[in-house]
Amino acid sequence: MKLLDKYNRISLITTILVIIITGVVYYFTISYILTAQVDKDLVVEENEIFDYVKVNQKLPQIFKSDDLKIIFKPAGNETVQRQFINLNYWNDKDHDRESGRSLISSVLVNGTKYHITIIQSTVETEDLIQLIFLITLGIILMLIVVLIIINRLVIRNLWLPFYNMLAQIKLFNLTDHNTISGLQTNIEEFKDMNEEISAMSTRVRRDYEELKSFIENAAHELMTPIAVMNSKLDTLIQTSNFSEKQGELINDVYNTVGKLTRLNKAMLLLTKIENKLINDQEQVSIKTATEDALSQFQEIFAGKELKLHSQLGDVQTSASKAVLDILLNNLLTNAVRHNIPDGDIYVTLNEKELIIKNTGKPDPLDTQQIFQRFHKAPESEGSGLGLTLARQICENYGLTLTYSYAQNLHVFTVGF
Amino acid sequence: MKLLVVEDEAGLRESIREYFAEAGDVCETVKDYPSALQKINVYRYDCIILDITLPGGNGLDLLLTLKQNRFPDGVLIVSAKNALDDRLRGFDLGADDYLTKPFHLSELRARVMAIVRRKSFDGNQLIVFREIQLDVLAKSVLIHNVPIKLTKREYGLLLYFIANKGKVISKNALAEHLWGDGIDMADNFDFIYSHIKNLRKKMIDAGCKDYIYSAYGMGYKFSD
Repeated sequence: MKLLDKYNRISLITTILVIIITGVVYYFTISYILTAQVDKDLVVEENEIFDYVKVNQKLPQIFKSDDLKIIFKPAGNETVQRQFINLNYWNDKDHDRESGRSLISSVLVNGTKYHITIIQSTVETEDLIQLIFLITLGIILMLIVVLIIINRLVIRNLWLPFYNMLAQIKLFNLTDHNTISGLQTNIEEFKDMNEEISAMSTRVRRDYEELKSFIENAAHELMTPIAVMNSKLDTLIQTSNFSEKQGELINDVYNTVGKLTRLNKAMLLLTKIENKLINDQEQVSIKTATEDALSQFQEIFAGKELKLHSQLGDVQTSASKAVLDILLNNLLTNAVRHNIPDGDIYVTLNEKELIIKNTGKPDPLDTQQIFQRFHKAPESEGSGLGLTLARQICENYGLTLTYSYAQNLHVFTVGF
Repeated sequence: MKLLVVEDEAGLRESIREYFAEAGDVCETVKDYPSALQKINVYRYDCIILDITLPGGNGLDLLLTLKQNRFPDGVLIVSAKNALDDRLRGFDLGADDYLTKPFHLSELRARVMAIVRRKSFDGNQLIVFREIQLDVLAKSVLIHNVPIKLTKREYGLLLYFIANKGKVISKNALAEHLWGDGIDMADNFDFIYSHIKNLRKKMIDAGCKDYIYSAYGMGYKFSD
C-alpha cells in the first residue's frame, strides 16, 4: 500500500467518524434545546389558563390556533400527574395526524377538577432537525471530496522530492558514472536524506573505484613475475638433456603458467571494459569480423570434428574492432569448449541478432549463474571469465546477451 | 645482431641476454632510464628491446629521443600493460613492434629477427638455412631451389623455427605464436602436432633433411 493511500484512508476514516459523532451530539443538543423551548411555550400557556381561571372562575374559551391545541375535560376524582409527553395527535387544521409535544395538567374551577391537555405541534422542529441532518451529510461528502483532492495534490507535491530521490536511487549503478544529485527542497527531512544518500553513493563509488584499481594494479604487477617465470622456463629447457618424465613436468608448469597468464589477462580486460577505457570506435562489419573469427577457429573445429553451419548477413555497426573480436572469440571458444565430439555449431547473423548455437550436454545451463565471474563447469579448462567478459562487452555497447536452450542446442543470442 | 635490452626486472633481463647471446648475438643490457639514454646516444643497435615502465623515466621518452635524433635502430616495446592506447602511442612514436608481457623468448627472438630483417639496408628478404630458402616478401619457400607449397600456418612455423634454430621451443610458445592470444584454446596441442607432421612430410618429400626434432615431449627443436 502506498503511503498516500494509507494516509488517505486514515484521514478519511477519522474525519467521517468525527463528523458522525459531531452530528449525533449536534442532533441531541438541538433537540433538547428545541424541546425545552416548546415546553416553555406550553408552561406559558398553562399559566395563562391558570391566570384566567383565577380571575374569571371559569374555563377560558378555546380558540383554534395553528399549532396549539387545548383540551379540557372533567377529571372526576382521579389524580392528574403533571407531565410533558410526546404524542401523535389529530391536527384539526391540517387534517392529518402529526407529532406534537403535550403538557398534561389540571385546574380547579369552582370546586370541579378539570384535566388540561395542551398540545403543540413539533413538525417544524422536526423539519429543522432534518435540515440540520442534511446539511451535516452534505458537509461530510464535501469534506471527503476536498480531502481527497488536497491529499492528491498537496501530499503528492510534498512527497515529490522523495519520489525523485527514489528514482535516482533506482537508476544508481556502480559501473555507470552518473551521481545522485542534490534535490531542490526546503523540507528538512528530505534534505537530510538527500545529503546522506549523496554522500553514501559517493563513498560507495570511491570504494568501488579503489577496489577496481587495486585489482587492475594487482593483475599488472603479477604480469612481471609471470614473465620472469616464463622466460626462466624458456631458458631452462635449453640447458641440457631431460628425461621424458622431466619433460612432462616442465610441460605441466608451462601449462599452468599459461593458464595464469590468460586468467590475468581476462581480469585486466574485464576491468578495462568495465571502466570504458577502450574507446577506439569505428565502423566495422560484423560479418567480416565473424568470418575472420570462424576462419581462425577452422582448425579447431576440424580437430574436434565439429560441423559449422553459418549463415551470415551483411551487418555493420560502430564498435571497437578489438573488443568485437574478443566478444566473438569468447562466444566461439565457449561453443567449442562445451561441445561434444562430432557435434554442430550454428552461427547466424542478421539485422537483429547474432546467434551462436552449439550441441553439448543435454541439460539447459543455469541462466542465473553462467554469466557470473569464475562460474564454470567442473571439467572446463577455461578461466571462468569468458562469458562474463562477453556480457560486459554487450552491456557496454548497449547490446543484450541471452542464453536459452532449445531443441537440444545451447543458444547464445547477441541482440543488436 | 647487436641488441640492447632495456628492462628493470633482473630475471627477465638476464634470460633475454642469455637466450640471444647463446645464439651468437651481441646483447647489452641496462636496467634504468639514465643508463639507457647514455647508451642510445653513443651506440647504434640493430634492435632495442624496450620496457615502458622504467626506474627514472618512461621508455616511450627513450623512443622519442631515438626518433628525434633520427637514429635508425629498430625498437620492440615490451610492456606489462596491454592497454590499447599504450600500444597505439608506441606505434605513433615509431616503435616497430609491441610485445605484451609475459612472452616466450622464442617469440621475442622471432619478432626481433623480423624487425632487423625489415631494417636491413641491403633489402635482402631472403632467409637461407642450408638447402632451405625463405622469401619473406613473397612468403614462398624453396628447397634445393625448388618451390614447395606450404599453408600459411606451416610457413609461419618454419619461419619461427629458423628464427629460433638450435633452441628448444615449447609447445606453448608454438601454440601462442600460431593462434595469438585472442583465442583461449592455446592449451590444445593436437593441432600443433598435425601441423608439424605435415610440414615435416612436405620438406622431406622435397628432399630436405629432417631438421625438426621432438624434445622430451614438451616441445620441438630445429637444428642440424
